[in-house]
This record gives sequence, structure tokens and C-alpha cells, in this order.
Amino acid sequence: MLRTVKPKNARSKRALQAREPKEVEDPRVAIFVKGTHAGEKVTAVMKELMALKRPHAISFSKKNAVRPFEDATSLEFWAQKNDASLFVVGQSTKKRPDGLTFVRMYDHRVLDMCEVGVEGWKSMADFKTPKATPGHKPLLHFASELFDTHPRFIQLKSMLMDFFNGEVIDAIHLAGLEHVISISLGPTPPSLNAAMSTLQATGAPNEDLLSLPKVHVRSYMIRLLASGTRVPRVELTPMGPSLDLTLRRHTDADPEMWKQAMKRPKLRKQDVEKGVGKKRKNLDVDEMGDLRGRIHVGKQDLGKLQTRKMKGLKPGREEAVGDDENEGESGRDSEGEDEGRSRKKRREV
Amino acid sequence: MDVSDILAAHQAKQKAVLVEKDIPLEVDAGFLTVTDLNPIDTESYEADLEEYLMSTARDGVQTLIASLFSLPTISTDDGPLAQLPPPTTQLPRAKPLPKPKPPTKWEQFAKAKGIQKKRRDKKVWNEEKQEWVDRWGWKGANKDKEVQWLTEVPANADVDFDPAKAARDERKARVAKNEKQRSANLARAAAAGSSSDDRKKTIDRTLAVTRTSTASLGKFDRKLDGEKPLKGVKRKFEPTETSASKEKSQNLAIISKLDKEPMAKKSKKSSDSSGDVLNVRKAIRSASKGKGSAALAREGASKGGKGKKGKR
Repeated sequence: MLRTVKPKNARSKRALQAREPKEVEDPRVAIFVKGTHAGEKVTAVMKELMALKRPHAISFSKKNAVRPFEDATSLEFWAQKNDASLFVVGQSTKKRPDGLTFVRMYDHRVLDMCEVGVEGWKSMADFKTPKATPGHKPLLHFASELFDTHPRFIQLKSMLMDFFNGEVIDAIHLAGLEHVISISLGPTPPSLNAAMSTLQATGAPNEDLLSLPKVHVRSYMIRLLASGTRVPRVELTPMGPSLDLTLRRHTDADPEMWKQAMKRPKLRKQDVEKGVGKKRKNLDVDEMGDLRGRIHVGKQDLGKLQTRKMKGLKPGREEAVGDDENEGESGRDSEGEDEGRSRKKRREV
Repeated sequence: MDVSDILAAHQAKQKAVLVEKDIPLEVDAGFLTVTDLNPIDTESYEADLEEYLMSTARDGVQTLIASLFSLPTISTDDGPLAQLPPPTTQLPRAKPLPKPKPPTKWEQFAKAKGIQKKRRDKKVWNEEKQEWVDRWGWKGANKDKEVQWLTEVPANADVDFDPAKAARDERKARVAKNEKQRSANLARAAAAGSSSDDRKKTIDRTLAVTRTSTASLGKFDRKLDGEKPLKGVKRKFEPTETSASKEKSQNLAIISKLDKEPMAKKSKKSSDSSGDVLNVRKAIRSASKGKGSAALAREGASKGGKGKKGKR
């Protein structure tokens, strides 16, 4: 546990203030840690991932005896010390060669973990193409139906989104969209398709890791070509790195901690006024793109409603001698009003 | 005029930027993410993997770009910025939500009375100088009375009455009062944060420590009236008969503790290369009853020589 220090000067006070919890959070900082033996492949993969994550990345140059699935105390210590909330731990053992573990933290404690094995990979340097500028936000592309149904892949998607793009921003410069990171899966095996129906019934996923499809991570540069319309046509060129991953061990988040982590701030007043988080009533956009509003037009007077005309309801001839129909009607109305008034008077008396 | 070829050309342009899929793609513009929930096409996947991945990625990106380019924009010096909607995907937070600041006593009062907060300007207009001056601080307006060269003195004032000093004392008193109120607010916030039970416990613990902190461990201290003797720690024992599952989990917890080595010991062991099970130094100490190896050798020699012998 770190001792809590009281800031002695304005600079350290500002530095501590920057670490305090905020309503809208900064992007997650990732720490890249090498385990006792990482191996050439994992080291290189971590380096490339770090190139994509930069500038929100910290690299630990030394080896560390850290086993996230057994003892997470050192991860928690590093998280607090560096104010980081993501870890990528590279470890290669005989049992699990070329493993990368993604660890996500909440409040400097481990929230959930996901281990992947690197099967095949190609470096950025192997693609002789222009690379994305560090610090530019990537687009993310996920392709497979399992990202919506299978708990392992839902977790992987959430983890990777947090890793690459987890920052809430309100505006972006469209010319700065340079690259896309695409995460696709192999074909869904029929066993998994059948299992999905039983899974919903039992609620427990069968842990057969071999049946899970491979994960293909590719990154491409985007070229926007003029298409004659407002929306440009997109062409992709491979940029690297490209990884083929298999899923291995994982831990799910503690439900209580997950609930805490998913708490949202109350919406601010200006957002509510803008219509965020609230159903916008009486407003719609028509096909021309114009915003149309419906206003309140007052209550309809049902007494003046024209109902079906019947002969028997017409005023008697002796009452409306020489009068037009219209005049007769208006006369009846005023009569009704008079009646109402007199009734009211009676009530008052 | 025949517009059919113009329409056809327009259609062709549209076709280049439109993506047709069985299941429409899910776009989360807030996180710049697109999810393609269509099942993977096994044939083309196996035929040419890279080509297939790139074509699905292109379709996804095309859809995402289309939705991004249709967002409303604001113009800045660097060019137009697309206004992103709030993200639809919920990601866990990295830190808990910030706790609201506890209200000060004034804020509580103002809320009860419905007093609106008014922002006071930092500068005030000085008529004589014809300029804006700071309300406080260096050359602040609150020090005007202390520095003016002529001051009206009340008729009943003392002989040694110093108007500048009186004004300064008054100002310092105001500052001191404000500081006192500020610290009181802080103390109140701290007290509200920790429950009274916690506070009572810490006070009791401090009292217990101080009572046993004299040379006689509190034995000869003067007792106050009604002071209770210190309570010791009561030992608690687990019941001898527990359920089998509980006993099993307890034993497993002990075994897992034995299995796990502490980090400090691990590093020490790795540096220590001898790998001896026996701690020689400790063994000698216990065998010689703390007298050392020389005494042990002497004793052994004398035993070998004569056997039983009286005291010298």
C-alpha cells in the first residue's frame, strides 16, 4: 500500500489532483510488463501494441516475476504507483507459449483478466506502407456474431475497446481518421452454435478453449477517395501489426465490483436540456431533415362540435321565424351559454 | 431532356459508398466502433484469409465513415470537427465516481434560505485613481484605510489611538475569523465522513495505549473516580464441532497459505545458493544453549575425557 502524502507545494498538489477520480475519465494508461520469460515473439508483439497505444503507454523494461492469475498484488501496486488502469503482461511458458494477458483495473484493483496466445504475427516493418501518426484515434471494427452472444468474446471486445478507444470525446477531426484496427474471428464452429442455445438455458459456458475460433487482429490505413457524394469511398491498405490470437484463461469481474464500475454520473443540466438521456417529446425530423415541433393548441371546445344534423333537433319554426340556419345555430349557441351562465349563478347563490 | 443517365451515374456513385449486408452493422459513433454481426463466410475465409478480412473490414469502415460524415460539424481554426454522439457501449470506469464535496455551513444555510450564489468581482472601481483595483491582495482596496495619509479620528479617541493600526487589526481579525470557519467546515466534513462508532473506537484505543504507557505500565497511576479497569482481549475459540464443508475449507485455506511463498522469502532464497536445509548457526545455538560453538567443543572434549566429574 502506498502512503498517502499531503502535497507540500502547488505543483505536487496539481499532480495529485490530476489523479483524483473524474466524472469524465481520461484515457486508460496501459503498462506493458514482461514476465519472467517473455520470448522474442511476445516482446516484439508488445512493442508493436505499445506503438499503437502510445502516448498512453508505459513500458517496464525489466523482467518481473508476476503471475496475474495467481497473485495480483504487484499489479495493484503498479497501478497505484503509475496511475494506470490497464496491463499487458507478456509471459511465455512451456505450458502456455507466447501468452499475453490483458488486465483491467478498477479503483487500483483487478477488475477482469483475459489471456490470449499469439499464434501468428507480422510486424509493422514487414508491411512497406505508410504508418499512422502516434496519438491519432483508431477506428475499431469487430466482425463476428459471437461478439454479441459469447461471454468470452463480449469480454474481449470490451477489453480491446477499452484498450484502444475507451475515451469519451465529444468531437473529432474527420481528416485525422487514419487507421482502423479490425478484430475478426474465425468461422463459428457448429458445436458453439449448438452450445449457444443450451448456454442461455444453463447460464454456464463450457470451457472448451479449443472449440473457440481464432481471433484475427489486423490494422489498416484508411484512404478516403472522392466518390462524388458527401461520403467518401474507403480503401484500406494493410499497415501492421497483424496478430492471430487464441483465447486462453480468463477471470470475469466480481459482480459487485462490476456494478460499481458501471455506475454512470448523473446527467448534467445542460445535457438534459440538450435532450441527452431524456426522451425528446413533440420533436421529430421530417424527410427533408427539418426539425419539426408540435405545439400545444389549447383545448377543443366540444360544445361547438358539429354533430350530425337531424330534423328533430332543429329549432322550432316559431322560435326562429325568418331566420337563416346559421343565425339559428348561433342563436342556439348563445342560448346555451346563457343557460350555462345562469346555472353558474345559481350555483354561486 | 433525358436524365436517366445522370440518375444512373448517381446510382453508381451511391453504390460505391453503400454497404449491403444481411444484418445491418451496429455503429457506435461515440467510440468510433463498428460491429459486424454477420456470420463469417467459411468458404472465402478458407480460400483467402487476408483478402476476406480486408474486405469485411472495408465494408465495416465504409459504414462507420458514412455515419461519421453525416454527423453535424462545428468549424474551428483547424477545420471542421464532427460532433460525436455519446457512446452507446457501456465500458467500466477506471476509478469510482467523484464524491460530491460536503457543503459548508454557509452553503447549508443559503440552501435553506434559498439564497442564490452571486459571483463577486475580483476588481472594484476606484473613483480617485479612475481605474479598476483588486479587492484584496497587493495594493488591494481593503487596505485603503491603512495607507491613506490623513484619517479622521473620532472626538473621544485615546491619545495613542492609531487609526491605521486599528484598521489593520480589524482586517486581520476578519481573516482569522474566515480561517477559523474554514477549518471548522473541514472538521465537520471529516466528522460526517467517519461514523461516530469509528471515532469512539479510535479514542478508546488511544486512551488504552496512553494508560499503559508509563514506566509501571499504568499500575501506580492515580485513578479517576468511576474509571473502569482496562479490558483485555478476550480469546475466542472456534467450536470443536463444525460442518464438514467448513472444516474442509479451513484446512484448504491453511494448505494454500503453506503452498504460497511470500515474495521477500523467495528473493532471499534465490540469492542464497547453498540450498542447505539445516540452519547450522541456529542448530549450534540451540545445542550449546546459546554459549556458542567453542563452548560446545569444550564440553564435548571434557565429556570424552573423564566422564562424570564433580563441580570444580
